[in-house]
Amino acid sequence: MENNRPISPHIQIYNWHISSLLSISHRIVGIINIIVLTIICFWISSLLLFSDSYGAIHSFLNTFFGKFIIIAIIWSFIFQSLCEIRHLFWDFGYGFELKTSNITGLIVIFGSFILTILTYYLGRGFIL
Amino acid sequence: MVQISLPNNSKIKKGKYYKDKTNSKNIRKVNVYRWDPSDGKNPRIDTYEVDMDNCPSKVLDILNKIKNEIDPSLAYRRSCSHGVCGSCAMNMDGKNGLACTKSHSEIKGDINIYPLPHLKVLKDLIGDLSTLYKQYESIEPWLKNSKKDDGKENHQSIGDRAKLDGLYECIMCACCSTSCPSYWWNGDKYLGPAVLLQAYRWIIDSRDEERKERLKKVADELKLYRCHTIMNCTNSCPKGLNPAKAIASIKKMLATG
Repeated sequence: MENNRPISPHIQIYNWHISSLLSISHRIVGIINIIVLTIICFWISSLLLFSDSYGAIHSFLNTFFGKFIIIAIIWSFIFQSLCEIRHLFWDFGYGFELKTSNITGLIVIFGSFILTILTYYLGRGFIL
Repeated sequence: MVQISLPNNSKIKKGKYYKDKTNSKNIRKVNVYRWDPSDGKNPRIDTYEVDMDNCPSKVLDILNKIKNEIDPSLAYRRSCSHGVCGSCAMNMDGKNGLACTKSHSEIKGDINIYPLPHLKVLKDLIGDLSTLYKQYESIEPWLKNSKKDDGKENHQSIGDRAKLDGLYECIMCACCSTSCPSYWWNGDKYLGPAVLLQAYRWIIDSRDEERKERLKKVADELKLYRCHTIMNCTNSCPKGLNPAKAIASIKKMLATG
């Protein structure tokens, strides 16, 4: 009898807030960034091994799909950095009021996209 | 453990539909989670058509109306109906709150009412909070002071007393703890926002002499640091308190010594 009691529904029915949405996406993006960093490390080591590999990767990254990947990586790094800055403020004890945390949350979301565009175009200006 | 989907015995089925018998033109549909421990069936959602012309303003009034006029078998906790006792905490419109202070006019569309999330259901909207009460007991929520009772007042400065504002108002309704995903997945070990807010209330009390012991006791990977600042607790608190900030204050005290 006791063990047969149902569990009341939780994530199925609970509304998403800015804070909870950012919290879970921060985690997911963190895991993605670990994978991305590993791949970048392998890429850099491959440059030391084969002279052809630079050309191959360079031309791949210049395709449409390659550019998409670059922009996605820029976004995931910026998004995580902004989230971490928000967490740093929290660790100092600031920004816990509902209104403040909602505003900082929105800054993280919109800021990540704006900074991604800026970084991409500024970065291209440096490289080319 | 993170368990996203509900176990088989908790899957929700469609329930009965109670059509309005008053011929009212101002009707709202109210979907209520039902589970009867005596029939061995799965939980279900019953839908009631409620005449809103003769219904006061709060969600609890709707439940009272259903129980009094439509279906007396509905079970839920309620007592003071003024947001003081914390009995009628439940999940309304996807957010935890007190049914007695939540206006139904704030809710758009059909009104969905569930018990507090991720609890063992005792019946209908009544969840089992015994784990939370045990955790509350574990933080020893009483003043520890070696001073002998000499019949005199135990003085506290205005500044020290002000530190308890935003903490002592907690009514232990469990809205915050049951809104916290960390508490859903690790509710047996993680203390949860309600209990940690109370823990902080005693840590910060200038009259309490066991601050260090209290801090040491709560400084645990699972008991405290499962808080990832998701802020669902602060979002759901019907008294407008800030458990997330209280937990952060404990972490800060531990980090700065």
